[in-house]
Amino acid sequence: MSRFGRALRTEAREVLADRGALLILVGAVVVYAFFYPTPYLNEVLKKVPVVVADLDHSALSRQLTRMADASERIAVTAVVADVVEGERRVRDGGAGGLLVIPDGFERKVRRGEPVAVGAFADASYFLVYSQVLTGLLESAGTLSAGISITRLGASGVRRTQALALVDPVPLLFRPLFNPAEGYAVYIVPAVLILILQQTLLIGIGMRGPAPAADGGGPASKFGEALAVVLGRGAVFLALGLANLFFYLAVVEGVFGFPRRGSPVVLTLFALPFLTATAALGLALTTFFTRRETAMQVLLVTSLPAVFLASFSWPPEAIPGWVRGLSAVLPTSAAIPGFLRINQMGASLAQVRGEWAALWILVAVYVPLAAWLQLRHWRKAAPAP
Amino acid sequence: MIEVARRELERISRDRLSLWLLVLLPLGAIALLWATFSSEVVRDLPVAVFDGDRSDLSRRLVRMLDATPSIRVARQVPSPEAGYEEILAGRAWALFVIPGGLERDVRRGSPSPVVCYLNAQALIPASAIRKDAVSAVATLSAGVQLVAREARGASPGAALASLRPIRVDAHTLFNPTLSYVTYMTTALLPTVLQIFVLLAAVQALGSEIRDGTGEEWLEAAGGSVWRAVAGKLAVYTVYFFALTLALLGLLWRAGGVPLQESAAMITAATLLFVLAYQALGVLFVAVAGDLRLATSAASFFSGPAFAFAGVTFPVEGMTPVARVWSSLLPLTHYLRLLSDQAIRGATPGTSIDRLGILALFVVVVPALSLWRYRRLLAARPSLEAS
Repeated sequence: MSRFGRALRTEAREVLADRGALLILVGAVVVYAFFYPTPYLNEVLKKVPVVVADLDHSALSRQLTRMADASERIAVTAVVADVVEGERRVRDGGAGGLLVIPDGFERKVRRGEPVAVGAFADASYFLVYSQVLTGLLESAGTLSAGISITRLGASGVRRTQALALVDPVPLLFRPLFNPAEGYAVYIVPAVLILILQQTLLIGIGMRGPAPAADGGGPASKFGEALAVVLGRGAVFLALGLANLFFYLAVVEGVFGFPRRGSPVVLTLFALPFLTATAALGLALTTFFTRRETAMQVLLVTSLPAVFLASFSWPPEAIPGWVRGLSAVLPTSAAIPGFLRINQMGASLAQVRGEWAALWILVAVYVPLAAWLQLRHWRKAAPAP
Repeated sequence: MIEVARRELERISRDRLSLWLLVLLPLGAIALLWATFSSEVVRDLPVAVFDGDRSDLSRRLVRMLDATPSIRVARQVPSPEAGYEEILAGRAWALFVIPGGLERDVRRGSPSPVVCYLNAQALIPASAIRKDAVSAVATLSAGVQLVAREARGASPGAALASLRPIRVDAHTLFNPTLSYVTYMTTALLPTVLQIFVLLAAVQALGSEIRDGTGEEWLEAAGGSVWRAVAGKLAVYTVYFFALTLALLGLLWRAGGVPLQESAAMITAATLLFVLAYQALGVLFVAVAGDLRLATSAASFFSGPAFAFAGVTFPVEGMTPVARVWSSLLPLTHYLRLLSDQAIRGATPGTSIDRLGILALFVVVVPALSLWRYRRLLAARPSLEAS
């Protein structure tokens, strides 16, 4: 126990004097929290530019154009006379989609013949694509329904009945947890957890393994290494908890994200996440011969970690072996867990799968870190 | 310059870290990302259904939802609350609540709506489910309308035309067989590589300062700072240029990208892309004057770049601060050019400005920083001595 206490005190004193490590563990934590969300702060992508190829030049085609422009998802930036010109504008990046109103559009509608307008959306951006298609579908749908209802009304059908005929099985969407379907709420809270993990891993990596001078040597026992790992780990756990609550309470508050998690549940869930991360960090230190190596090696893991954390890309679409591999990263279980607790209001029981996965990582990484620390001592100090 | 390049190759072969930074980590990360997206499309997302009606119509609706590509009805729940539980527990992305008496009310012409509760915290599953739910309900509605109109004595064709006078034919622009995955991987590949081009340049230059070997390096270059830097970095230019082109070629062949437009332009842009990041490496080391600080700066610059490059969220929708930062990343311009030239098949003229901006990085950034090197390289050994 005294070895644990000594390791804790030494690490606490040294890390506070280590400007390079503090730059990551505190500086980067604060700067990233306010820098990373900046692209998404406009939240919803509105008024995506759309080109209309109006081949009909009728009152009805102009009405459809006006209705499309009035949609909050899209804005009509140009009306062109042919499809080729419209498609060229989208290709060259000036617009996210093209609405083609065919020749004879109004005439056919008047005669009661079915007519189709063409909606072409740029699929290179997932969001642009869905905004353009939804916007065009909605405006054409509204115009179409209006025509039917007027027509049914003219033939003596009552308005409520006409509505039921036009839309016999109404479907309503209720977006939960993120009612405005904003992009920031979708991305930022998850990325904050990732930043927490990465800064902790890199910061610990810069601190390096405990030197032999701290009482370790060729004759050290596993228990001693374990005590040192736990002592140092406790410092990083405390630091991680402080950073986590800074993110969950202050940063998410500043950006106005929904926060439904109770502090008790969040702390209970954070415990295995931060312990596993700290232990993984301490295990990795023994492989970094220089301080900057930690950053060089760990930086690139952020990108796969984002996509493997089951929020930006659904896990159902990821091959099983990749998901299995991703389990080594604490964020793979921690991000979905934190999102459900804090953004959606889940209880600890509702994230028990993720919680258990994190405890398994603790059970693996803590002994691993101790064993690697022991090996490091034995290598560093040759037997007398 | 050849002498400097030879010296650099020897340094690389001595250092085990180089193997990681140049080969194992970039290829490993790219392979992992590629595999992550390899299943092509989002399909069979689990949803919960509360069927309060248990009629022919409601069962038909459930079957139609399940038959769409992206929706899989994973469980039927006994109450809407139980369905909400499923969402909170992460077992369902959405909950459909079918009101009691749906079939009867539809027949009477006064239906209450079917409500779809979406987990909008996850935008991609939510939008996929929304799109397919709309199409499933539209198909169901068309059947109901047909029956209703025929009962009123209209022929099926006339019935549909009068109830839905305007249809929308939705198309995916550019290559319809091209998957979202190919777009994503096309963007992710250069994103991974820019990190390593930059880190490798910073490491190659900064380690000379750290180890105090600057004078020896300068000597190999015959005393010319320009030749010393260029000769050293040329080794990495060749490697990363070839690697980027090879990987893009492989990806596009596998993903069936027809390589619509100018291959020459893509080749030129790739060379400028690698050079631009190396130029930034030269700048970071010059300003920081120290490997560790320069590595921190490089990490800050390249780590979050993907969010700012306008791939997942278009630049036009960003806040002004983010737009400025985005324009300072060579990655933004390179990815835009790749998407325009390789995938959309834009006319080569539209990408000239992007090519120009990349070239500007290559020319301006080293001009700002090279002059500091003579002092950096000379100063260090004397500092060491004092």
